[in-house]
Amino acid sequence: MLAQDDFFLAPGIEWFHLGPVIALVSGALVLLVVGALTPRWPRGLYAYVTALTAAVAGGLAVFNWNDITDDGVSTLVGGALAFDTFAQMITITVCAATLLVALVTDDELRRAGKDGPEVYALFLIAATGAVVMGSANDLILLFLGLETLSLALYVLAASDRERPTSQEAGIKYFVLGGFASAFFLYGIALIYGGTQSTNIGEIIGSFQTSVLLDGKDTLVLAGIALLIVGLGFKVAAVPFHMWTPDVYQGAPTNVTAFMASVGKAGAFAAMLRVLVIALPFHRDDWRPAIWVLAVLSLVIGSVLAVVQTDVKRMLAYSSISHAGFILVGVEAAGHNAGELAPGDGMPSVLTYLLLYSVLTVGSFAVVSLVARNNGGDTSLDAFKGLAQRRPTIALALTVFLLAQAGVPLTSGFIAKWGVIQAAVEEESYAIAIIAMVAAVVAAFLYLRIMVSTWLETGAESTEREAVPFSTGVAVFSAAAFTLLIGVWPGWLLDAAESVTTYAK
Amino acid sequence: MLLTILIFHFLLGGAVVAIGDRLGRRGFLFAALAPAVTMAWLATKLGSVRDGNAIQQRIEWIPQLDLAIDLRLDAMSAVMVGLVSGIGIFVCIYALGYFSHPKPGTARLAGLLTMFAGAMLGVVLSDHLIALFLFWELTSITSYLLIGNDDRNPRARDAALSAILITGSGGLAMLAGFVLIGQSAGTYRLSELVDAAPGGSTVTVGIVLVLIGAFTKSAQLPFAGWLPGAMVAPTPISAYLHAATMVKAGVYLVARLAPPLADLGAWRTLVILVSSATMIVGGWRALRQHDLKLLLAYGTVSQLAFMMLLFGMGRYDLAQAGIVVLIAHGAFKAALFMVVGIIDHQTGTRDVRKLHGFGSGWHPVIITSVLAAASMAGFPPLLGFIAKEKGLDAALHADFSGGTAIVVVLVVGSILTVAYSGRFVLGVLGRLGESDRQRISPTAPAPTAWFVAPAALLALGSLAAGLAPVLVDETVRSATESLYAAAKPKPVVLWAGFNTALLLSAVIIVAGLVTIALRQRVERLQHGFGDAVAPWPDSDRVFWGIVTGTSRFAKKSTGIVQNGSLPIYLMIILGVAAALPLVPALTSFETWPDTIGTWVHVPIAAVIVVAAIGATVVRRRIAAALLLGAVGFAMAGFYVVQGAPDLALTQFTIETLATVLFVLVLRFLPRRFADSKAAVTTAARLAVAGLVGVTVFVLALVSAGARSDVSQTSISAEMLERSVPDGKGSNVVNVILVDFRGLDTLGEITVLVVAALGAVSLARAGRRPSDRRRDRSASGRGFAELPLVDASARLLYPSILVLSVYFLFAGHNQPGGGFVGGLTAGAAISLRYIAGGVAAVRKSFRLAPWTILGGGLTISALTALVPLATGNSLLEHAGIAWDLGPLGTMKATSALPFDIGVYLVVVGLVLMAYEAFGDEHAPETSELPEAVTS
Repeated sequence: MLAQDDFFLAPGIEWFHLGPVIALVSGALVLLVVGALTPRWPRGLYAYVTALTAAVAGGLAVFNWNDITDDGVSTLVGGALAFDTFAQMITITVCAATLLVALVTDDELRRAGKDGPEVYALFLIAATGAVVMGSANDLILLFLGLETLSLALYVLAASDRERPTSQEAGIKYFVLGGFASAFFLYGIALIYGGTQSTNIGEIIGSFQTSVLLDGKDTLVLAGIALLIVGLGFKVAAVPFHMWTPDVYQGAPTNVTAFMASVGKAGAFAAMLRVLVIALPFHRDDWRPAIWVLAVLSLVIGSVLAVVQTDVKRMLAYSSISHAGFILVGVEAAGHNAGELAPGDGMPSVLTYLLLYSVLTVGSFAVVSLVARNNGGDTSLDAFKGLAQRRPTIALALTVFLLAQAGVPLTSGFIAKWGVIQAAVEEESYAIAIIAMVAAVVAAFLYLRIMVSTWLETGAESTEREAVPFSTGVAVFSAAAFTLLIGVWPGWLLDAAESVTTYAK
Repeated sequence: MLLTILIFHFLLGGAVVAIGDRLGRRGFLFAALAPAVTMAWLATKLGSVRDGNAIQQRIEWIPQLDLAIDLRLDAMSAVMVGLVSGIGIFVCIYALGYFSHPKPGTARLAGLLTMFAGAMLGVVLSDHLIALFLFWELTSITSYLLIGNDDRNPRARDAALSAILITGSGGLAMLAGFVLIGQSAGTYRLSELVDAAPGGSTVTVGIVLVLIGAFTKSAQLPFAGWLPGAMVAPTPISAYLHAATMVKAGVYLVARLAPPLADLGAWRTLVILVSSATMIVGGWRALRQHDLKLLLAYGTVSQLAFMMLLFGMGRYDLAQAGIVVLIAHGAFKAALFMVVGIIDHQTGTRDVRKLHGFGSGWHPVIITSVLAAASMAGFPPLLGFIAKEKGLDAALHADFSGGTAIVVVLVVGSILTVAYSGRFVLGVLGRLGESDRQRISPTAPAPTAWFVAPAALLALGSLAAGLAPVLVDETVRSATESLYAAAKPKPVVLWAGFNTALLLSAVIIVAGLVTIALRQRVERLQHGFGDAVAPWPDSDRVFWGIVTGTSRFAKKSTGIVQNGSLPIYLMIILGVAAALPLVPALTSFETWPDTIGTWVHVPIAAVIVVAAIGATVVRRRIAAALLLGAVGFAMAGFYVVQGAPDLALTQFTIETLATVLFVLVLRFLPRRFADSKAAVTTAARLAVAGLVGVTVFVLALVSAGARSDVSQTSISAEMLERSVPDGKGSNVVNVILVDFRGLDTLGEITVLVVAALGAVSLARAGRRPSDRRRDRSASGRGFAELPLVDASARLLYPSILVLSVYFLFAGHNQPGGGFVGGLTAGAAISLRYIAGGVAAVRKSFRLAPWTILGGGLTISALTALVPLATGNSLLEHAGIAWDLGPLGTMKATSALPFDIGVYLVVVGLVLMAYEAFGDEHAPETSELPEAVTS
């Protein structure tokens, strides 16, 4: 081979610091290999193994957190992965969401007689992809993470083989996602053309050391445009959002929860890595684009959500509006990306991702409980009278909805206030005001669901929703977390504020 | 303590809602607990608050986000708290009588009412603009729930919706205004804003936005429409929210912000214009109502405008009058609403035309309504008189432009007030009853004492405070001082001596009485006027137009954009994706490429363009596939012209095979694209395709020219140079594939194998097991049994196979290679398939397709790994040469087995494709919905 380099040095591999990724991959392999070779496991074991894996991976990330100092080791595996608290925060978010989703999935699958290791293995593989996206210090590796996540999600979306809508969701997501990935990859290629590297540290270095010639600058700019298209699709920002309502509605509800939490966390982590960390020198070029995406997502997500009549679809549109909020934080982070005092943008986005992930899994978990009781019906009518049938579940749903609306004393308020505050700090008043207005418009949507749940009576014949143990645990802990953070958010905000990023 | 009170309200309200109908009307007893506790607490603190010692509470909540809860109770807030909680107690007691026959949902009203009271207290106690906004919106939401509580009544639902949309969006404007003002003042705290005195154009915008919020909440024109609509709510709710408390939130906000802001920008002008119009129009409309409740509602609109004018000018003497009006209005308007509720409850109607006087047991009600109406009209010696007199006096001494206008507006508005107050009293007395209507009221049962007591007490309160204004004087003074630190308010007295204000009061009363006396003429005048303005769009119609329009627009646009059609989604994404990079690319696109290299390019390019356009406009799938193939072949033509036979060969073979595979799959799909609006979608498709084409074109030119800095000894030169010595082959393309980037190739064929297995298993999964068994054994003939085809296939098949083997072996030095060879063999197999169907394909290859596929991969992988065993690096190549005598020398390198592997993989892939899609039993039409395929 040509590329035989006598000076090639094998990169050192920091096994312990790679712990979260290794744990997730091993969990997936155990499920796939052992699961395929052994008879059906006793009830719930697949889910518990998955939950345990996620918990271990998240725990390892917490351990890693303490190993990170301002002047410590910063990259892993020869500069391929960043070892910073940013990565650990994303890892914890992804693992927490995966854990909750695994618990919710358990009963859903067993009730349908479809219990098996495949879905869980795909969850873990997708989670690995998201973690890699959050830790990548190289655009190629980031792309690998993106594809690992996306491919697993395509399959998961189509995993309910008996419902054509699930199949439809899968194929739509796959076709559109394939295009988005292609744009992203082409964007990486153009960036490489302009900077001679795909390594984030070296990309930054190339901007620092030399003033780019005009032509190369064009390459980078066109590359950024394509990267934004790819990322915009993955985070479901308007105008790349069209897949979201269809896919969210069509996919099995537990998968929707997973997409809305892990998928979003991974995609936004990638966006921060690519735009804020790798391309701070072009911040004035990409920030307007993010501004437009944010405003469009806020307005269209909120307004269109209000006219929907299906709760799953409403939540899909609301996830678009949430994406708009997170983009507000990204925009704020863009104001002084790459500077020594990075501002509140990045921490606010990370906080938002963690809080929203938990919230959205909780909301979809309740939706799945109600849907199962009504033969898959997720329309507003199905929620009528929930408060009479299952007051605790209705209460939990209310907590989630209030939090999604951003009502104080819930985590959602902390999240929303964080990004708006960050935007105001950077004097992006217009976007902050639009965000606030969108929040109130969207609040109307959550109010509609709450009115259905509490104030309207359902059909007499409706049976009480069955609440299986594991789903109950997931819903309860998500609601408790939502309230806990709402009242006592200090520790989390401290942690987010201390987030460091390295790119070398 | 302030926070505790707020939390208590919400907890209590929540508990009452949760317990629900089991409580029945007793819910209101529990609900009364919250205002009672608040009042008791306020009583203990009132003295020190009046002395100017505001109670502050600051809870550091989230220091990281600069979030703290700032609550502040000063004298002005105390007035509002007294209003909210004091009238709250009366309303709760009154509701016990009103809901004597509770329906389902009555207790919920009580709980929501308590929560509303909490929210309202939050508004008046917040010292932070953002917190104020939050409570403000909370009052809108609770009001929405209270109005719409009877969810089976469509009018209630509409009214609730209109209320929340108008006040809610006004709140949004207000929020934006808060941010602008807060940012330029550097503080969001009301108590600090007074000294901060911001300025500038940002603040002007902020002021307009804040005032919009206040106007919507306090039902000023043109946003007044929601308040009369909200009268569908039960009367205790209307009395509380829409007369005494919630609608005063806007007035309160104006009162708070006027001191620092009234002298700035548009504030005063806007308030004068809007509120003057509202005061007069509201009074005018009240005068023509038949429904007593609506009469009061329009009266409220007018009175709110009155208060806006008093508070909004930023002068302490006017504001002092405003505070008196605030208190007086709270008392008399609540009492009047209660009276209407009593009449409605006992007789079943509130229409003045159906009331014909009441029996003897009704005297307390009559007295109450006369007293309260007199206070409203501003008759001495009631509190309403003092309030109006004070307002007139202050307006007469106004030192700003527009002062005279205010005096005129106050006088005209007050005359109308006297007139509609009179109309109310006459209505209650039965003087407006029409003789042809059924006489219900004289025989209606008299209300119980408990039912009347709250209203009576409030009316008596108006009288008492009017006779002894010292009761309120101290409170009013301190509240004025809390708004204006420099204020020197005159005491509130009933008799202020002979002055202009007194004269004006007399004029008002006389003119009002005359209007009442001439009521028939006034009515005719109103009819004429009403007919004249009827064609003008009123705010109500505009509002519903906007609401339904928005909803229709949202639904329509989702119908078009979000119709579930994959091609449309893709078009939008592609369009944006093409437009985005075009922007930077165009900026550096300076020079066109020099010339057309050779004229042969022209026809080839023409073919490509025509075929590409054709592919986007044709309606048949198969035609589109063939046109795409034409594009590919023409591209191969370009390669030939540019002197890249190797690429051309690859392109040709792959294009052939791709077209054949297309056709195989398209057999299962509908013949035509299903477009509902073909013309529109075709045009859009062409536009997007064109845009993508332009972008790629520009991007290619720009990026090709972008790397001018790269030295000429580029990587391609290096590869050319090292091809023969290092790769032992003179076909650089092949050397790159099997040697320089051999590992990539290995990876790619692995992916190919996996993809093939996946595609085939997906294709087979759709079939029934019985089909699958028949597949293997089927000896079906091909579908083209023409002798000519058969014969030529037999002839050509072996020759093409030989050619493919030649390509394989020659590839290292001449055009060809494993990949091209495999594709050529694939073309041969296609020929075989056309002649004899799947069976013929199976016959010609004894081995199962997957064996060939796997075998190829294994051979390539082993070739790559062998050098490792001998201590060399992966894919290290060795070459041997045999002298074959007369046949020449045969040179072989270890790249050959690697290439053979590639060859086999491609052949196996083609065979798999035919195995999966080639059988003539077309699988059942796929279950994919039309949206995906169209």
